[in-house]
Amino acid sequence: MDKIPNPESVPNSEAIVCSVCGGDPRASVKCKVCGGAGIGVASSDGFLVWTEKVDDFSVAFRKIKRGVTTGFHAVILVFIILTFVVFVWRVSALDSIGVVGTFNFWIVGHWYVTLLCFGLFCGCFFIFRLFEYSKVEKVIPTWHLTESQLEARDSKVAKAEHRFDVSPYYSEQARDVVESAYKITKDLKRTQVDPHMLFSAVLTSPTGGLFMARLGMDFNKIKEPLARFMVAESAAGNPPVTLSRETKRILALAYAEARSHRRQYVSPMELFIQSFSVSLKLQELIDKLGFPAEHVRQVAEWVRLQEKLREDYHRFVKLAALKPKTAMNRAMTAQQTPLLDRFSEDLTMAARDGRLAPLVGRKSEMDSLLRAIESGQGSAVLVGSNGVGKSAIVEELARRMVAEDVPVELFDRRLVSVNLAQLIASGDPSLAAERLLTILNEIAISGNVILAARGIEALVGGSGAGPLDLAETFASEMDKGYFITVASTTSKAWTEYLENRSLGSKLVKVDVLPLGADDTLRVLMAKSGVIEYRNKVFFTYQALDKATSLALRYMYDVSVPESALNVLREAAVVARKARGEKTFVTAEDVAGVVHEKTGIPVEAVTQSETEKLLEMETHLHERIIGQQEAVAAVSQALRRARAELREGKRPIANFMFLGPTGVGKTELTKALAAEYFGEEKAMVRVDMSEYQDPTSVARMIGVPGDQRGGLLTEAVRKAPFSIVLLDEVEKAHPDILNLFLQVMEDGRLTDGVGRTVDFTNAIVIMTSNAGTPFIQAEVNRNTPLENIKTALLERELKGIFRPEFLNRFDGIIVFKPLTLDEVSQIAWLQINKIEQRLLEKGIKFRAEDKAMEDLARAGFDPQFGARPLRRVIQDRIENQLADILLRHQVERGDTIVLREDGSLSVEK
Amino acid sequence: MSSPSGAMAKLLFVDLIGSVVWFPIWWYTKGLSMVTIKSVNALRYRFQAYAFRIWIRNFFVPMYGQHDWSGRIVSFFMRLVVLIGRLIALLVEAFVYALGLALWLAAPAILALLTVFSFIAGTVS
Repeated sequence: MDKIPNPESVPNSEAIVCSVCGGDPRASVKCKVCGGAGIGVASSDGFLVWTEKVDDFSVAFRKIKRGVTTGFHAVILVFIILTFVVFVWRVSALDSIGVVGTFNFWIVGHWYVTLLCFGLFCGCFFIFRLFEYSKVEKVIPTWHLTESQLEARDSKVAKAEHRFDVSPYYSEQARDVVESAYKITKDLKRTQVDPHMLFSAVLTSPTGGLFMARLGMDFNKIKEPLARFMVAESAAGNPPVTLSRETKRILALAYAEARSHRRQYVSPMELFIQSFSVSLKLQELIDKLGFPAEHVRQVAEWVRLQEKLREDYHRFVKLAALKPKTAMNRAMTAQQTPLLDRFSEDLTMAARDGRLAPLVGRKSEMDSLLRAIESGQGSAVLVGSNGVGKSAIVEELARRMVAEDVPVELFDRRLVSVNLAQLIASGDPSLAAERLLTILNEIAISGNVILAARGIEALVGGSGAGPLDLAETFASEMDKGYFITVASTTSKAWTEYLENRSLGSKLVKVDVLPLGADDTLRVLMAKSGVIEYRNKVFFTYQALDKATSLALRYMYDVSVPESALNVLREAAVVARKARGEKTFVTAEDVAGVVHEKTGIPVEAVTQSETEKLLEMETHLHERIIGQQEAVAAVSQALRRARAELREGKRPIANFMFLGPTGVGKTELTKALAAEYFGEEKAMVRVDMSEYQDPTSVARMIGVPGDQRGGLLTEAVRKAPFSIVLLDEVEKAHPDILNLFLQVMEDGRLTDGVGRTVDFTNAIVIMTSNAGTPFIQAEVNRNTPLENIKTALLERELKGIFRPEFLNRFDGIIVFKPLTLDEVSQIAWLQINKIEQRLLEKGIKFRAEDKAMEDLARAGFDPQFGARPLRRVIQDRIENQLADILLRHQVERGDTIVLREDGSLSVEK
Repeated sequence: MSSPSGAMAKLLFVDLIGSVVWFPIWWYTKGLSMVTIKSVNALRYRFQAYAFRIWIRNFFVPMYGQHDWSGRIVSFFMRLVVLIGRLIALLVEAFVYALGLALWLAAPAILALLTVFSFIAGTVS
């Protein structure tokens, strides 16, 4: 046998081909050395080979065999029943039934007795047939082993030399898939069953249907490209159709895969995973059809996980039956705990009744927790942010206690979750302390209670319960060592209330860190079944994936996986209400929920939005005259953000607008807010001249202990998808600017309360008048804008801003002073606004060109840009208009005209 | 399956007729071991359910938290009674399983003998 490496580099999946037939599909059929296998894979079970022939006859024969076996069993069964019927009929005809009880009756030689005895003998034969022949597939030999036993076995046993035929371990469905692949090959007039045929065959099976539904794949859409691919990738020719070398290898590997995942039989699932993994071309094709290889693998994992959870549930139910149904332990040493029962929930009882879900992942945290208890340190505290899964760990502990899969310290005990908030609710410190001590006394006498204290900071008054402090009482009782506590708290509460206190020092800290994207997805996969069942809907993989990525990116108040699960729960309801039961929850449903919760548009970009984005410059120029560079820069930043090309760790964009006053810096920001964020008000505007002393930092981000937070941080926390406009930034104290170094670099800022505020969906725009004289002078000298900017950065701004601050901007945009022509255009814009306002009253407005020229000239000031223009319009037009309106000199339908001399007249 | 005819022959002679020969061998080897394992597992489960280990470990621990002398004495005897009761129950169950095993062992042989005996007796008479 010669070794051939595996192109996919799957560990331990190196194939070995027969040295005589070379693994050739046709030659191997009659090869005496390999017995038709041709190729195999070494494993500790033996040399894995597939020897069964797959051809027209074998396909038909399997059906014949199944039919013959069923028929044979039916005949035996009918015969057995008949012997009974005949016996009963004959006995009932006897004069006295009592003779049946005599020994003589059975040996005297009645023909119907002989028949009955033979019938019963056939009964034994029938039992034998049922066990030996009714089930075609064999159970994988290592199926009954636990994961650790399997690992231990494989580490001891070297790779076995003997041949091991994997075909008997294939489930009926998996065999159907192999036969279906053969038929597909034949229909396509190919000569070899390639992995692609296996893959297609799985898709047409019931398991494949589930796959495609989860993946959102429509078989009718992929059917043709897949068929074309199969035809192109394999050779045409005359029969016989044989299994290709690669397919035989996959058939062997599917067994290894099933074995390593402790499956009972090889199922279509293993064939699917193996056939898909082996062909990069197939992966490319499926990717082109819109389904990345990673998604396909994840869906396979999802289906497998749900099957495994079902198996685990059955095992758990059996073990849970041994646990007592009452508070009494099996040793019957416990005592009634009336006060504890009043303020608590028995988690082991809940687990026994199947009300607690199994934990997914978190193996290291669980191990640390059990180790802390086992090491004799007694009690532990789980520390992690809200929604991270602390309760899930405590509930898993309850489940393990039910299955008695725990250290001896927890054996035959119950886990009771005490409601601390309720316990101290009286507000009377002495009463609360008394209650606590009574409860602990009950626990001491009962001896079978493990205390679960969720939100243990409540004992210190950390839950807002006032001056109550039971921590010392609790800690001193813990010192006596008569009970074990599994507490949980948030990271913030741990630092604030527990870490430096005696209670904190007595608890072994187990950090529960937020899950990554993969683990969160796995949790969603495991928990989705319950949500699906409740809402009678189905989740697609894209929905789960979207919920994971959006929760990780946009939802900070509650940690993953809880935040992602909440999104899924709501999306399921939304989908059911919108499209009825038995519908699929899509990624768009999930995005819709996240949009509603956060105000951030996370849905896919629609056609109308695409047009809006592509024509952003045109729209902005309807309000902004000139300043092409600035308009282009902000438009491009938005397009990048919406196309999801940015990194996602910084704000959408950080801009500094430099230039004299009145040139459109703030106006551009407003136009942007109105155009893209929906309204001009979608802007957090801070006048930095109000933050000139270092103490104003507190105003901006809040002070510790003050739940109101800071002005800036609260505004962004409530509206994360907005523009943060910092006006006249050069006037702010340097300490304030230091805060923004972090905002611009990491997209987050921690407020005085300790909450992290996300800036990654904001556009940070700072405006400054710094260097204005220089800009004006250079523009007058017709220096190119680019040169002005370089000079500004290198010289003019150096004394005002630190280099690291300036470096963090995506763009420092210099606004040019306005020309008279530009001011004239602005004047027209302003007049248009007046016209619009009058039209609302049913009055028309018209301005003569000469009047507009005068207006622009009067409003133009090279130093102050368009700012004087507003005043001029106010003085010359708005004041006159107000008089006309108040004197009722104009009626609906009339036209007011701005004349050349600047006066207003009414045309009826 | 080397050839269609070979496969059909195997189905007829090995799977159908051959199973008649394989039946007694299977019954007293593989079948017997299977039934024994199942019985032992069932008994083991019952043994776990009766919590013998827990009861023996807590033999001198008073029941229901009654740590006074009278409580201890009552508990001691109560535990003794319960343990004996459970042991008897387990023994009865073990006996039932053993009976089942014996039946498994005896059934085909006795039924075959009875059939033959009854057939001969019927033919002779």
